[in-house]
This record gives sequence, structure tokens and C-alpha cells, in this order.
Amino acid sequence: MATAPVAIAEWLGYATPPLWLEIVLDAVIAGVVVTIMLTTSALAGPWAKRKITAMFTDRIAINRNGPGGITTIAADAVRLMSKELIIPDGADRPAFDIAPAILPLSALLGFAVIPMGSGLQLADPEIGLVYVFAVSSIASVGMVVGGYASGSKYSLLGSMRSVAESIAYEIPLVVTAASIVLLAGTLRLSDIVAAQQGTLFTVAGVSIPAWYGFLNPFALALFLVTSLGEVGRNPFDIGEAGTELVGGYITEYSSIYFVLFFLGEFLHIFLSGAVITTLFLGGPAGPGPAWLGIVWFGVKIWAVFLFTQWCRAAIPRVRVDQMLEIGWKGLLVLSFANLVLTAIIVGVIHT
Amino acid sequence: MNQWIAVGVFAVVAASIPAVMMNTSRLLRPSVPEKGKETVYESGEVPTGGTRLNFNIQYYMVALLFVVFDIETVLIFPWTVIYQDAVGAAGLGSALAPMLVFIAVLVIGLGWAWRTGVIRWVSSADTEFNT
Repeated sequence: MATAPVAIAEWLGYATPPLWLEIVLDAVIAGVVVTIMLTTSALAGPWAKRKITAMFTDRIAINRNGPGGITTIAADAVRLMSKELIIPDGADRPAFDIAPAILPLSALLGFAVIPMGSGLQLADPEIGLVYVFAVSSIASVGMVVGGYASGSKYSLLGSMRSVAESIAYEIPLVVTAASIVLLAGTLRLSDIVAAQQGTLFTVAGVSIPAWYGFLNPFALALFLVTSLGEVGRNPFDIGEAGTELVGGYITEYSSIYFVLFFLGEFLHIFLSGAVITTLFLGGPAGPGPAWLGIVWFGVKIWAVFLFTQWCRAAIPRVRVDQMLEIGWKGLLVLSFANLVLTAIIVGVIHT
Repeated sequence: MNQWIAVGVFAVVAASIPAVMMNTSRLLRPSVPEKGKETVYESGEVPTGGTRLNFNIQYYMVALLFVVFDIETVLIFPWTVIYQDAVGAAGLGSALAPMLVFIAVLVIGLGWAWRTGVIRWVSSADTEFNT
């Protein structure tokens, strides 16, 4: 399937559009993708987080302004943006100012290649999956720069922990994704989605789609746990660890810089949801006509978000040494076992 | 149409988001610097010492291990892409066995790191903090 800019160019009657038109179309679609993801993660995300946590803990949460209190989030954004920016004494500038921009940027870049359904996909390079992992791991740079440049001991400890966590969980994450590439035989994300469109089997008239999450549920479970660790969500949120480190690497950040870190973290949750949806849940596939794709895509990334909030409410935080052991001694070994087993099974089927 | 032009345009659009937000905030926010406000946060106490200190980061060996495994993932991806065709063309043994040997070497390395205690978080009683 063609990407959105290509499809629009063809609709306008250009088989090979001039460079200026190509850039304009790319910019328009990029604007649409960025707007959708910012609305999801900056407005609906924090609102849902507060509501879901309140439901888990038997409270009401925000309900005064707007339907269900949703405009409180917009007001919060304006409030935080108009707050005084406090630069601590020990801050190392300009590193202190650059770090908050890195986190949301690295997460947003990942969305450029995600097939969101209804034809909404900006670019579809041949190495799409590797590209997503490459740009999303830039986030660790933002964390370590921010933690060091703050000049606070909490920040330093938090950033060191975050990096330890990122490097412990990135390998199992990528190796588990490699086991899906074995099944799909391609790194192009639209082809990985297309490879999941068949029917796995039919039980009592209900056909189970050939999503890789159904084909290899073990890999899905592994990937879910690992991506919780990679984006630093509970129970693996030791980089922030409110009760131990105040706020980790964001301790000294106030005003708009805090908003950017916060936004970056939400974007990363939704990016990992988008990757899980694409690799394991059939991307934008679902019942009904094809133009409903983006709705199904939204349902799936919100299901993953709900899962992260469920873990946040239900599972206590692991200690930092436990985090290291779970990553290197548990998940890494399991992900290699998964890769080798998948390779053997795929190999036996294809001979 | 080139896919990477689209990615590049997207990068420009995405980078403009933090830039616009930072500059909007610069127009909105007050600036009243005070000595007390700018103190490093240490839970209300007067800060003791700086943060530019010798500090046991615990895991430089883990970081080395990470580099090894990260390069390994780069080497695994091309194999996963051609694997199905390779099994059809050259048979299961010659498509799978070399990668099994490669992964076995890595697993032996991981086992060595495990045994020598590289991936163990040292508790503070065992370490010498140097401030």
C-alpha cells in the first residue's frame, strides 16, 4: 500500500511529483500525524491516566471543568507553560536547555513510519522497524544529559538508573522484535502488517486472525514486559521513583521544561503501544471497512496504554538491583530462547 | 518519492514542536530570580557538596556488555530478513547453524559475565564511595 503523500500525489495526477510538492505533501501529513499524537499523548493521555488511576484506587479524580474534567488538562498545560522557569545553581547550560527537547523529539520521530490505518502513514522505508528502535533509543541521551546538567544528586542518580535500565531492556526488546521479523521476513512495517492479515484458524465460526500476538503469545508477553522497562513505566520506573529519588532526572526541571519531559514520556508510552500494535496486533486491522483502520489502531494503542496503567496501579516497583537481574538474567535469556525456537519452527515449516 | 525526504520533513516538523513551546513559554512566564529559589533541591536541607564527584556508577562492565549485544542485534537483523528464503534455497542446516554458533558464543559470554558477578548490583557496604 502506498504511503499517504504518494497516494495524494497520485490523486493529484503526479506519478513523480516535483520536489517542492513532495515536501509540501510530506509536511502536511507530518503535521496531521504530529497533531494526532500530541492530542493523544498530551491531552487524552494524562486525563486517562488520572481517571484510570482514580478508578483503581476508588476515587473520582478530576471532574469539574468540561466533560469528565478533560479541560483541566488543557488548563494545566497553560498553567505550566506560564510558570517561572527556575534554573538551579549547579546547572550546566546549554545542556540543561537542550535535554528537555530530546525526549519528545525522539518519540515523535518514531511515528513517522508507523502505519496508522486509513492510509495514514508518512513514510515506509525498507528498514522501518530498525529506524523506530534507533530513534526511540535517543531518549536515553536526553535523560543522561538532563540528569547530569541539573547539578542535583537526585537527578544524577535518576539518570544513571534510567540509562542502566534502558541498556538492560533494549537488547531483549530488539531480539524479541527480531523473532517477529523471522516470521514476517521483512523490516518494512506496512509489509509486517500485511503479513498478519490472514486467518490463523476458525473456532466455532469465529475466525482468529493471524496476528503475531496470537501466533506467538510468548513473544507478545515478553515484548510487553520489556517495553514497560524500556520506557521506564511501573513496575520498572526506578529512574523516577517518586518515593526514592523525588523525580529522578526531572527533579530540577520546572515550567515548560517539565512539560516537555512529561510529554516525552507519554509519547514514548504511545510509541511503544504503536510498535506493539504493528508487530503483534495486526496494526490497523479489524472488522468493518478499511477506512475504519485508524479507529482500530487507536483502540489497540489505548489497550496497551490501559495495560501500562493497570501495571502502575497493581504492581509494586522493583528495586534497582532486581531491575538489573530481571533484565540481564531473565528477559535476555528468555528473548534468545524465543529467537532460537522461532527460527527452528520457521525453518522446519519452510523446508 | 523518496521515503527519507518524508522522514526528514517530519523531523523538521517534530523539532519545531519543542521549539515553539519553549518560545511561547518564554513570552508568557515571569522571571523573578532569587537566591533561595535557585538552590539545588535536596529535600529542603542546605545542599552539601556538589554533584561533580567521583561516583560509583556500578555498571561500566554492563555498559561494555551492552555494546557487545547491541552490535549483535545489528548482525542478527539481516539474517532474520533473509532467513525464510535461505532455508528454501540452502536447507535448514546451513541457514540456521551459523547463527546458532554465533548466539552460542554470546550466551557463553553472558554466562561468564553472570558468573564473575558483572551484572550484579553491588550494595553500598561493598563499595568505597569517594566524595
